[in-house]
Amino acid sequence: MAHADPRLSRYDPLGRIIYFDDFDEGYNGWVGLIGNYEGSLDTMLPGYQPLMQPMLSNVTHWDTGSHGAFDGTYALKTATRPVKGQQNVTLKRITFRQLGRIQFECYFAFKPEANTMQLSELDVRSIGVIFDLQHGEGGANRVMPHIRYLNALDGVPMAKWQYKFRRQPFHDIGGSGKTVSHYHLAPEGWDDVPGGAQKLCYNEVPTKINWHYLKIGFDLKTMRYTELRCNDRSFDVSTMLPMTMPAMANLWCMLNVCLLVENDADKRSFFYVDSALLSGEF
Amino acid sequence: MAIARSHTATIARNEVWSGEAVTEPYEAGWAREAIFFVRALEAVGPLAGAAAQVQISADGMHWVDEGTSFGLPDRDGAVTFGRVARFGNWLRLRCRVPDGATLRVVAALTLKE
Repeated sequence: MAHADPRLSRYDPLGRIIYFDDFDEGYNGWVGLIGNYEGSLDTMLPGYQPLMQPMLSNVTHWDTGSHGAFDGTYALKTATRPVKGQQNVTLKRITFRQLGRIQFECYFAFKPEANTMQLSELDVRSIGVIFDLQHGEGGANRVMPHIRYLNALDGVPMAKWQYKFRRQPFHDIGGSGKTVSHYHLAPEGWDDVPGGAQKLCYNEVPTKINWHYLKIGFDLKTMRYTELRCNDRSFDVSTMLPMTMPAMANLWCMLNVCLLVENDADKRSFFYVDSALLSGEF
Repeated sequence: MAIARSHTATIARNEVWSGEAVTEPYEAGWAREAIFFVRALEAVGPLAGAAAQVQISADGMHWVDEGTSFGLPDRDGAVTFGRVARFGNWLRLRCRVPDGATLRVVAALTLKE
């Protein structure tokens, strides 16, 4: 059936498609992350304050015009502000029906803002995908698998996949005792995926875009990774742990997928996703 | 019949504007019309004459005034807005706040096909 639709034929979904979001059709429920707050926006942890909303981009550049998406016109674009180390996160929030395997796939590209006539291949620090999950009511844990492709760090090429299980401390937000927050996006605490070095197709000027395939599998029963694949490489995830913490009061059956981008220079970094597919075995 | 899509993006949240301030570039080529809303969370100082200019761009980097301008809110809780259409792809606001004044704002861009 998938081959009847060329848009689906380039995906490898599990038994049931939970969502297939083609950003030619709109935002499809993908929204900018906002940190927790209570009473005043000033109560938000500082790292969350600069985060912004995603946009539908036709991937236009000053030298050529519109690049367009993998298919059609628009891709979902998550952009940082033009300050080194800035991050941005776009996510989609749903819940799951049954504990079982899930799999996120997307076609993506990343580029820095093309505001200099230089290769600029080290100006994007990373792009990543984070799941934010919690067991059903009465379950034990909130689980947050973090995966990123570290492109460069402080101007040094890295070109490797990383994961993060180390937690950041929780902070009380406001005064009611109902709201807490932790800055899980903190730049420290990442570990290398075993054998996770991979060079991608950046191309030769910052205005040429090549789309890449990414697949991340996770098992909600065991709360362990099942797969990490990018283009022609599949990585050993057997020893990788997700970030895990005690279950929280209002997050039962949560199944969020987050798209992360971080910059490594005082210019904007752009994380484009042409389309995204979440599937499950249930 | 398909209904027209619409979308609101908060383009500035709890930001403090003084002197000249610009919002981050926003791509909206799919939309035919847009309204910028600016709400003052906190207005401090002499805000008479504070104004926003809508700007457009071909590439998100080089900007030109679109011609639409509107006054910025001059007291806590006040809201002002400016409407634009036929703007191409990129939009932003360039705002001028008089010396000695500051505006803490929430700004939204409401888009519709």
